[in-house]
Amino acid sequence: MSNSHLLMKAGFITSPAQNGVGRYVCQLQRVVLKFCKNNGSSRGVRDFIESDLVNFAKDHPGVVVYLKPRRHRGPVIVAEYLNGEKQHVYCRNFTSEVVSKWLTLLKNQQGNHEGMRLRKMWHTDHPSIQGPWTPYTFREPSLNLAEFPNDKLSSPASLEPSATDRLIEAFKKQQLKELE
Amino acid sequence: MALQRQGLNLLRRISIHGTTFTNRTDVRSYKRWVAPTLKELNIRTKKIGDTGEVKPTPRSSFLEWNYDAEVFAFGKRLGEEFNQDLLRKALMHKSYVNLQELQGNAVQSDGNTDLIKKGEDIISKYIQLELSKKYPDVIVQAIHNYLTDDNMLSHVGVHIGLKDIILTPEYPPETATIANTFKAVVAALEESSSLENCEKFVKDFVLAQLNGKEVFDIWEPEQPYKYLKGIKSDIEPRLCNQSAAKTILANYQVGIYSNKQLLGLGWGESVDVAKDMAALNVIQKIYNIK
Repeated sequence: MSNSHLLMKAGFITSPAQNGVGRYVCQLQRVVLKFCKNNGSSRGVRDFIESDLVNFAKDHPGVVVYLKPRRHRGPVIVAEYLNGEKQHVYCRNFTSEVVSKWLTLLKNQQGNHEGMRLRKMWHTDHPSIQGPWTPYTFREPSLNLAEFPNDKLSSPASLEPSATDRLIEAFKKQQLKELE
Repeated sequence: MALQRQGLNLLRRISIHGTTFTNRTDVRSYKRWVAPTLKELNIRTKKIGDTGEVKPTPRSSFLEWNYDAEVFAFGKRLGEEFNQDLLRKALMHKSYVNLQELQGNAVQSDGNTDLIKKGEDIISKYIQLELSKKYPDVIVQAIHNYLTDDNMLSHVGVHIGLKDIILTPEYPPETATIANTFKAVVAALEESSSLENCEKFVKDFVLAQLNGKEVFDIWEPEQPYKYLKGIKSDIEPRLCNQSAAKTILANYQVGIYSNKQLLGLGWGESVDVAKDMAALNVIQKIYNIK
């Protein structure tokens, strides 16, 4: 993460208000195309408006399309989403195909995605399926029938021979050798 | 605080030493985070302005605003055929009508008060009907209250795009206002098409909010063991296991039995907690809560 990401919004990919669980609602609620009628940098946007915009509006009746001509300013697409977010796309010198592609992208996404840092590349609402571990999870089944007090269960699981034990063993070995 | 100090240090370095950046006894290097942070702070300060609070501008006050198109798109967005007059009536609040009449403007409709009442009934009835197919009355009531709460309905309302097209004097509209408008829209839909269609709408937008929620997130008896005793009297709690008693990691497992049959297990840091957890486990099984 670099310093330019410090104050960036961070989060996980979510769908707003369970969109798509019941029915899908296009999250783009309105789009404003701002352009200049004379300037060459708006050429692509003007072409798009002339040729494809009516079809776009017909195909997506749920999106309100506004056109805002303004003199001597660069062309911009402003997309407004149902969650209140806005995304500006500057389309200086774009061709009409590129404008169309950007508009499709803006229509398909569910909010302003520029300037969001994904906290992780994966996310789950259910981190564990089997539940929290307890001391009784995966316990030896034979313990259910054990009777207490139990010498075997009372002793440590692995018991190293003590110094005394080793001495005794060494002494016994020595005695065996002497016998031979 | 640290940020201000850093900023001051930067200023001091520039003002006192002028163009000679040789003396760096106080700061070891340039902190790369300072510039982006100051830029962001500057942007936010400008946004707030002198008043100290961000005042939202109503979208309807913009030059590019066409109320007819917005209302038309609202219906299309939801995939429903609304009667436009009814939809407009549903979006117009009594307070707005009163205000217009005070200002001497003629308004056709008399507000959405009756539609709100009707929509509330439809939503309420349908949710109860759907939930009672699966859950007992207590849980139905709890989930119903959760779903028909103003916060929940306004959350749904905002996410279908009501916020900008509600006709009401206040901006931004309050939670209760958005929730009421949502109810009115449901009633308008019922009058525009059919009750069946309207119930589908409620199912898709209101009931769908239960996705990813568990019943115990919404409803939980305060004293689970007592509650369980109320619905099933012949139960008997037994300590099944314990581990690390009298330590900070103490853990007890309690099972609830009825007629020598194990009904459910639960564990916790004390026997009482474990007993309540076991009771919850049993309630989950009895009520078939997944």
